[in-house]
Order: sequence, then C-alpha cells, then structure tokens
Amino acid sequence: MNRLVPINLAVEDILSEAAVKKILIEAPQDFAIGTTYGKRGFGYLKKAIFGFCKAAHTTPFLVLTDLDATDCAPTLVQSWLPNGVEANLIFRVAVREVEAWLIADRTRLADFLGVRESSIPCNPDDLADPKAVIVSTAALSRRRAIRAALVPAPRTTAKVGPGYNDTLVEFVRDYWVPCEAGLRSPSLQRALDRIHAFAPSWH
Amino acid sequence: MRVSRLRLKNWRNFRTVDVALLDRAFIVGPNASGKSNLLDVFKFLRDIAKPGGGLQTAVRDRGGASKIRCLGARQAPEIVIDVELSNESDKPIWRYEIAVKQEVRGRRQPYLLYEKVWNDSKLIIERPEKADGLDSLRLTQTYLEQINSNSQFREIADFFADVTYLHLVPQFLRHPAAYTGPGVPGDPFGRSFLERVAKTPERTRRSRLRKIEAALQIAVPQLKALIDTVDETGVPHLEATYEHWRAHGAKQREDQFSDGTLRLIGLLWSLLDGESLLLLEEPELSLNGEIVQRIPNLMHKIQQKRPRQLLVSTHSGDLLLDPGIAPEEVVCLTPDKDGTNALVAADVPGVVDMVGAGMSVGEAVLPRAAPKQLDLMVNRV
Repeated sequence: MNRLVPINLAVEDILSEAAVKKILIEAPQDFAIGTTYGKRGFGYLKKAIFGFCKAAHTTPFLVLTDLDATDCAPTLVQSWLPNGVEANLIFRVAVREVEAWLIADRTRLADFLGVRESSIPCNPDDLADPKAVIVSTAALSRRRAIRAALVPAPRTTAKVGPGYNDTLVEFVRDYWVPCEAGLRSPSLQRALDRIHAFAPSWH
Repeated sequence: MRVSRLRLKNWRNFRTVDVALLDRAFIVGPNASGKSNLLDVFKFLRDIAKPGGGLQTAVRDRGGASKIRCLGARQAPEIVIDVELSNESDKPIWRYEIAVKQEVRGRRQPYLLYEKVWNDSKLIIERPEKADGLDSLRLTQTYLEQINSNSQFREIADFFADVTYLHLVPQFLRHPAAYTGPGVPGDPFGRSFLERVAKTPERTRRSRLRKIEAALQIAVPQLKALIDTVDETGVPHLEATYEHWRAHGAKQREDQFSDGTLRLIGLLWSLLDGESLLLLEEPELSLNGEIVQRIPNLMHKIQQKRPRQLLVSTHSGDLLLDPGIAPEEVVCLTPDKDGTNALVAADVPGVVDMVGAGMSVGEAVLPRAAPKQLDLMVNRV
C-alpha cells in the first residue's frame, strides 16, 4: 500500500489551485492535500517563498506561479530562490499562465467551450497571453452561458468575464486531463514529471 | 429591466451624482462616504412606489426632508432624483425624475417641485400640471404612488416597488426577545426573516433551502442538513444538523448558528428571492475571505438564471479580487468638503490601466478609500 504523502499548496489564484489539485489527484502517489496558501496574486507568493521553504522541512510544499512576462522559467526560479530549491518543495512555473495548461487539453477544452477544436491553438506554451486566448475562443462559443461567463460584457474593460474563475474551475475539476494536456505543454509535462517522481525526504 | 443611469442632486451626502450602472455595481468608499446613502435612493423610490407608501411617508421615515438634503446644498436646495431604466440593450426605455423641496413654513411638508417621466426619450408626464396649480396639495404626492395616475408608466412603479434589501443582523435572529416593539418598515435587518421564509410557498421554500443547504455543506464545516421547522407555539425556526461523534449528529436552531452561518443563509436567500433590483450591504461581513472571493461568481450565476440587477456596497479586497469584475462595474465614492463625489472606477485615472496590467479591481481602487494620515488615529487614542 502506498503511504500518504502530505503536501501543502501555494498558488496565485483559485484557478491554479484547482489545476494543482487535479494534478495531485491524478498522480500515482497518494497525496494528502493540506492547506492552500496564497490566492492573492504572485506578489504574495514571492514574498512568502522563503517561509514555504522553511515550512517544507516539516511538510512538503508545491508552489505554482505563472511566468507572465519574465523571459524564461530558470530566470524566474533564480530570482525567487537564488540559493536553490529546498528538497521538499516542488517549485513549478506555468508558461506563461496556468491557462496555457488548460488550452493544452485541446479536445476537451473545445468540447467544454462549445467551439471547433481548430479554434484552439496547439502551442499553448508559445502564447503570450493565454487568458486572452481563452476569452477570445469562448467568444466563438455556441453556448450562451459560456459566452456570458467568460467574455467581458460589451463596453467594459475587464480582461475576463464575470463567471471566469468558476467556469474554468469546473472545467479543470470535471473534464481536464493533465497527462493529455502535458503532451502539448512542455511546462506542464515538466511539472508532471517532477510531481510524479516526488518523494519527500525527511530531516 | 435595470437602472442604467442615476443622477442626483443634494441627496444626503452627495451634492451631485451622475453614474452609469451595469447589471452588477460594487460601491466602494471610505467609512461614512455614503455607500448606504447611495443604496438608500432606491429604497426611497421603493417606499414611494410600494402599496401603502408615498412621498410623505418615504420622507417622514427618513426624519424629514432636512435629513435627506445634502448639508453642502447651497443655491439649489431641492433634492433631485433622476433615474434611467433600460432593458438588455443600453438604450433607456424609461426615465423618471423628481425634485423635492420642503415647505419653509407651516407644516414643513415635503412637496414636488416637479415630476417628469420619459418613455423612449419622449416626455409623457410633466408636472406641475394645470391641475397642480389649482390645488397645491396635489404636489405633496407623486404620480408614481397613485394607481390612477401612473397607468402610463406602471412598469416604473412596479420596478421600484419590488426593490429588495436585506442586511441581516444575526443578533436580531438570535435574540428576538431583546428586540421587541414595532420593527423598521420593510424589515431591512431581517428581524422577521424566519417568518418571511415560512410564508414563502412550500415548493419555492423547499427548493431554496435545498440549494442553501448544499452551499452550506461546503462552506460550513460539519454542517450536514438545513431544514425549516415550527416549534410548539407555531414560531418558525431553521434547524441544522451537524456531523458529530453522536450517531445521529447534533441539531441546532438558528439561535445557536454562528454570525457567519446566519449571514450566509441571509445572503443566499436574498439572492434567490425574486427577480427585482437587489441591494446588498457589505455581503462580506462575518464571512471567511475565501467564501467572500466567490461572491462575485455566485452573483453572476444567479443573474444567469434570473436577470436581476445587484447593487452591492463593500470594503472587501477579497470580494474585489475576482478578475471578472470590470472597472465599469465599480462606483468609487470620495468625500470632499462639499459632499461626496461618485465616479465609476473606469473613469478614475489609472484604474483601467492597472486592471489591464493584471491587477484586481480591488487592488486598483481600494487604496483610494483609505483615509489619509490614518497613523495619527492610533496616536490620538
């Protein structure tokens, strides 16, 4: 019988939390997910990262942040953790945003959004603004509820629609298949490889 | 139908207001900047339009015209309320405007300086009319409150009459005996909330309570079931079952519910109740920040099922963290020595740029609501 691997999460927002939880649920190990920290943007994560490193001595941590405008993931890791990554802390970077990992499960996302599969890009990690891609793709949807939730109302300047979080969390929870998505998103595949190979080391 | 534009003059702490409103509006501002006063405009219109209401009672219930009028009012002391109503397209269908003054001597009754109604931009009512000149008492009542006179614009009267407001104060529910005497008209603070629940037709009541129960099972640890019941003396109650070391769990009535549980029940009930304009006062109170973060999505979901406009006052950065809130949906109040200014956040310099760069609308607007020199407050105590 597998031993439970306790793990805490630290993420930027509700959607990243859902994605990380799904990845852990589908991982070969039996993760026991504890507390999720953050969900207040990347500033908080960056500020708290040393705290998570310290806390990882007692409970493993999985930290996921978006690359956003930083040029590449190693640069980001180097600037956040100049002294290297703690053994019990999995630090992953979504290129450029966690939305790219969702786009990477092209078939299921197309089905969920009610659009043709060809409307969804097949190189998610190369997208400069994956959020905007999800929103513009949802605008093509056959389903009114999807458009209303994901597309900002006319003449407003929000980047996403009023039901964005809730709708995409539902997609991640009920439809998204991380290992399928990993085939199209190298940053997700690296995260999956690292998580699947993870075994805590106890001090 | 929704209120698409609100213009005010001399209403409480606002000298002038002119804001466009969308299906959801979040009203933010420092303490005492007038968030509740802005919501009160719609309660005032409701109090005029509702059965048994009227201009005189609506003003009297608020302590007289001098309490409603802005202290900063100078040359033009009349109170003006001007509201545009639209359906899904933004083109206004209705516009209703009144100006109210108070007699300077005698009974100091409030009276109308004018009352105007437009339908599709066409002026259909303009008072004072000839008859108003012959009988000055006529101007102490609006046409809005009179069935005989509002037939041309009954839609407006019905819209205002249906405005709902619930700011559930848990203590009222928990200690009913401590708050006897006549209640506040319309029961805005939920003292008779349980009676209201009990009077709802059974199917509707069961369906709403089932939804609330399902939400509470997630939000409130150990809560397993929520039902309504009636005690031996016929008084309605809510009863929750909590998962417990006892085989059948532990039952508690509303007097033992936490503030947060009661407020969440009140919030969910009012969201599910009706299809009219709903005013919510600081829905974040007593609730865990993570639950608060979900309120905007909850509002959107409710609006998808029944298109109703929601106006919400808030101080909460958690609530305004949702990326789907547009700067056009937020009204910022800024107090000034001449009264409070109201501005849609999209018109506040820099806000649209900040949100465009990935900041939440709360991060972009809430710092504006912080009083200056707050450090001095601590020193002075």
